[in-house]
This record gives sequence, C-alpha cells and structure tokens, in this order.
Amino acid sequence: MAAVRTSSEITFNRIAIVIVLLVTIIFLAPIYWIASTAFKPRALATTIPPTVIFQPEISPFVKLFTKRSQMRNPPTPEEYAAAPWWERVVFDGGEKIVRDGKGEVQWSGYPSRFLNSLIVAITSTVLAVGMGTFTAYGFSRFKVKGEADLLFFILSTRMLPPVVVAIPMFLMYRAVGLNDSHLGLIILYTAFNLSFSVWLMKGFIDEIPKEYEEAALVDGYTRMDAFFKIVLPEAATGIAATAVFCFITAWNEYAFALIMTNRRAQTAPPFIPSQVGSGLPDWTVIAAGTFLFLLPVAIFTFLLRNHLLRGMSFGAIRK
Amino acid sequence: MTQIELRGVQKFFGAVQVIKDLNLKIDDNEFIVLLGQSGCGKTTTLRAIAGLETIDQGDILIDGKPVQHLKAADRDIAMVFQSFSLYPHMNVYENIAFPLRATRKSRSEIDTEVRSVAKTLQISDLLNKKPSALSGGDMQRVAIGRALVRRPKAMLMDEPIGALDAKLREEMRAEIKRLHIKQGSTSIYVTHDQIEAMSLADRIVIMHEGVLQQVGTPDEVYSHPANLFVAQFVGSPVMNVAEATVAENASAASVSVGGAATGFEFPRALLSKLNGHAGGQLTLGIRPEGVLVRREATDGFLPVETQIVEPLGSFDIVDLKVGSKMLRARTKSGFIGGAGEKVYARIDPSQAHFFDAASGKSLGVRL
Repeated sequence: MAAVRTSSEITFNRIAIVIVLLVTIIFLAPIYWIASTAFKPRALATTIPPTVIFQPEISPFVKLFTKRSQMRNPPTPEEYAAAPWWERVVFDGGEKIVRDGKGEVQWSGYPSRFLNSLIVAITSTVLAVGMGTFTAYGFSRFKVKGEADLLFFILSTRMLPPVVVAIPMFLMYRAVGLNDSHLGLIILYTAFNLSFSVWLMKGFIDEIPKEYEEAALVDGYTRMDAFFKIVLPEAATGIAATAVFCFITAWNEYAFALIMTNRRAQTAPPFIPSQVGSGLPDWTVIAAGTFLFLLPVAIFTFLLRNHLLRGMSFGAIRK
Repeated sequence: MTQIELRGVQKFFGAVQVIKDLNLKIDDNEFIVLLGQSGCGKTTTLRAIAGLETIDQGDILIDGKPVQHLKAADRDIAMVFQSFSLYPHMNVYENIAFPLRATRKSRSEIDTEVRSVAKTLQISDLLNKKPSALSGGDMQRVAIGRALVRRPKAMLMDEPIGALDAKLREEMRAEIKRLHIKQGSTSIYVTHDQIEAMSLADRIVIMHEGVLQQVGTPDEVYSHPANLFVAQFVGSPVMNVAEATVAENASAASVSVGGAATGFEFPRALLSKLNGHAGGQLTLGIRPEGVLVRREATDGFLPVETQIVEPLGSFDIVDLKVGSKMLRARTKSGFIGGAGEKVYARIDPSQAHFFDAASGKSLGVRL
C-alpha cells in the first residue's frame, strides 16, 4: 500500500464513496418504503406525493393479527371507553375486532402463516445443509466412482427453472396426499437447496486440509469422531454461509407455496398479497405483514455475520 | 519396548508401484530416518505404518503383531505432520489434550499430563493461545507435545521441520535429538535433507523409487555407500563419480579417469580386491576430501589444471580438470588462487569407492 496518497487517488476514493452511497440508497429504498408504510395511518399510505413526515402508528400491526369487520355505526362512547387501547385503534379506523360467542378475540390468518414459514424454512434448511455437508464430505475425502458425473447430475437439477415442473409436481403431490402439508413443502425446499448446499459445502470442505483429520485418526479417533470434532468446527463458516442462502431461498419461495398450499401449511409469502383482494386494500396492513416477514432473515444473517465475514484461512497449517 | 517390522511391503497407486518389497526391522528406542528424494516412497511408508495408507502386500508388525488391518486409531502410534496440523479452533492446551480425550482418562489426569508435557517442551506459557498466534517453532513444539502426551508406542515424524526457516531448523533439530535421548521412544523420521538424517539418525534408511537402497548408521552410509545412488545422495558437496580404467604397471595399480593418459597410483592390492572386475566397466567414486592437492610436484601426484574455485568459508571446493573429466577437491580456504593454475593431485586410495558401472552396485573395495 502506498504510504502517500496522490490527489487522483483521493478523487477516485470520493467518487467510489458517492457510488456506494447511491447504490445503498437504491437498495434500501423499498425497505424504507415498506417499513414506513407499516407505521403510517391508513389515510396517509397512498397519498401523492408520498407522506414522509407523519405520526407513527401501531394500528397496522393490531389489524394484521386480528380479524376485523366494517362497522355500520360508530361505537358508543361507553363502548369506546371500555375497550382496551388496541381495540380503540381499530375503532378509529372505522372497523371492529371480530369476537366469538364467548367474547374471545379472533386471530387473523397471519400468525399461523408466519409459523408455517418458520417451520418449513428452518426444517428444510437444517435438512439441506446437513445432508449437503455429509454428501460434500464424502465427495471431498473419498474416491467415489463416477464422481464428476454424480456431481454434474447434482448440479443439473438446478439447470431448469423449478416452476417448469410445478404442474407435474402438483399432480404427484396430490396423488400421494402431500399437497397443503408441511412435509410436502419441506421435501420440496430441501430438494431445491440440496444441490446448492452440496456444491457450496464441497468447496468449503476441500479447503480444510486432510491432515487435520489424519492427525485425529492417528490420535485415536474414528473417522466419525474426526468429522464431528474437527471437520464440522472447521467448516462452521461454510455451514453458516450455506445455511443463510438455503434459509433465504426457502423463506422467500412464492410460486410453489402458492400452488401447493392453501390453508393448513400455507406460508406467509402467498398469504400476504392475498389480503389485497378482500374488500378495500389496506396497504398499511400488507406493509406491516411484509415488514415482520423481513425480520427473521435480517436477524438470522445478523447473528451469523461473524461466521460469514471470517475468512477460512486463519488456521495453523503451514504449506 | 516397541519393535516395528516391515516384511515384503508393497504398495501401488494405480499402476505405479511406490513401495517395492520393503523389508526393515526397527529396534526399540531406535531413531530411524527414512531418507530420499520426493516421490521415493518414504512418506508413503511412514503413512502405511501409521495406518493412514493401506498396503497391497506384506506385513507391518508392531511388537511382533501384524497391524496392517488395524485402523490408525488402534495402532497406538503418534505422528507429527510437516504442516503441524494443529486444530485451529482449539487452543494449545486443547490441542495437546485432544489425544487423551479419546481415552478414558479423568479430567485431572489429563490436566496433569498436558502440563507435564508442556513443561518438558517449555511451552507452558502458551497453553491458552490459539495456534494461529504461535511462531513456527512453537507450533512444532505443540505438535510434538500432542504426539508425546499419549506416550505412544512409536513416534512418526513426516518432515517435521521442513517448513521452518534454516536457523530455526537447526535449533529444532537439536531439540528433537535431545528429546529423543530423554524420552527414548522408537522414532521414525522422514526427510529429504541428508544433513538432518546424518545428525539425527541411529540408522538411516535410504530409499529411491520405492526401493530400499541401504540401511546403516550415518557413518556406514557415508563411508561405505552400497551403490552409486547412495554415494551421490549422501554427503555434501557431492561425491565425484567418473568412469575409470584400471591398469597394472610395474609396482602398482593405476586408475585413469576421463580418458587421461596417466592414471592415479593405487596399491597393487586393488587388483586382487577388484576380483576380476578390473577389466570391466568401472565407476570410481571419490568424495572431494579424498582428492588431495599439492602446489608443488610430489611423487605419486599427477599434474592438473584448476578451473572454478568455490569459497565456502571454512573450506574451498576446487574443480580440477583430469582428462575430459572434472574432479572436485576440497582444500583449505585460499589454498588455490583461481582458475588456470597448475597443481598436483592424487586420490587417497583409502577413500576411493569402486562401483560396477552397469548395476551401480558397490564392489566393496576397501583399501
């Protein structure tokens, strides 16, 4: 690195910073849009020009989690005074929360869809990364007959857009009763991600020197021990990176979730826009649902950031 | 008490035979060095003993029991790798404790043993460090500590100091030797560096293209190489090798090199010791210190011309033109001024080696 910076280098740096800022703004704009709409009063969600300064509200989230109906008459002052704060914000919007015969609040479909998304994405990620790691280890460490062909076959499953097989898959799933089931989606997403996981993990495991395991083998451990005690900790970075990608793919998947599920196992992506069609669209509720949906991926990525950033080559191998 | 024996070991990698009918017996407490160029099969032999490589034929015996079908873990052998292979996610303490954790030892026993090994190797203050924070020499000490801690039947070392710089290599060489004398475990050490081999070994095993060339003490291997390969591989500067013709003259034998008209004078006994090979194709081997050089004409010395002089500090290596051949001689530093000088040389018969030119085998002539 040059100790003294020339003026052209400084200019270049400034231009680079401006470009990076512009790109960041372009990428963050939709996220800002969703986040701000999620806290807007309904009347301000669709104004032209957009409202930038407003009093944030929590009402879109209350509406997101509850079943509501239009009110013909506004609530009586007694009713209004007796209602808890979260019911009042719904009253303010000209709606009321639907209660069953016993007076219990009726939940909307969102929490169960969100839970479905979590179940399907986490399980399929664990399966895809787990199986991918074992498969990659096998390919990386042992002589496998037809290794190149097998690896190419695994890769080839990614070579056509998955939606192409949506109709046959749907018919097959219906025939075996896997449609609208968690298991069905988990199998589907695991299969999507497995080829990716195998290839990515093979790259990471190839980087781990064989000598580590050989040292463990000589030190009195079985190959299985060596795999769990040496290879897995060493591959943590790769596993984290692979898991993030698999999780994002499964979490964001829309097309198959729309075709294969309708109620019981429906995930959040097809559910959120489905709310647009019922009555007048309440964009603040849709934005609130989308905003919450963005959080798990953000948290997951944030938790694994050290693993994602840390280089592979900090080990004590001398070549 | 650990003896290791290899009987008729053969190993193929595909169609290439990397170990050819290897027979070797290693005694208890012996320090054996496997020496050879890269690709000669020495590392494969070591890995086969460790159990990291299968063999295609033959037996590997540890204390008389065949172990070639046992897993590495069940052979009770420790190994130090050239790359050290310290586990990066564990600190030094955990690295050394790792082999003990595979046994049923208690926490406190493990602690005692790790600390005692660390003390022996003077790395007690490094126990909490991660391998990435260590210097090369310390990494190597930790790797040796990890090998020693289990008190294995034998220590295998695969070029353990090959990755260090020259000065550190010399220090660690001495340390390994000290440690071996102190701990006294059967050790097999692989290297391509003949100086390392000479300085460490009780016996050196020289291999070439998968074939064992010679087994012997450093002195035997240096003074009585079994063939041309060993003769030229061991020793620095390299031994002079030249095709030679032996003739008989009035009082003595004469050995001429490089088609020179007059030969070097040898005792008459050479003729009988060559035992009929005298007329055949012979190769003469002579180390540079066996080529004696005088500045003035002396009886029995042949006039030669100096070519290149390489000053090496404690001595010089001088190229002498003999016939069409160049002989390298070792002289006191500054003894020869430069190229083109006329000096007188002879070959010390007691340091001369004769080899069959066709097979390369030593004829065993000692004068």
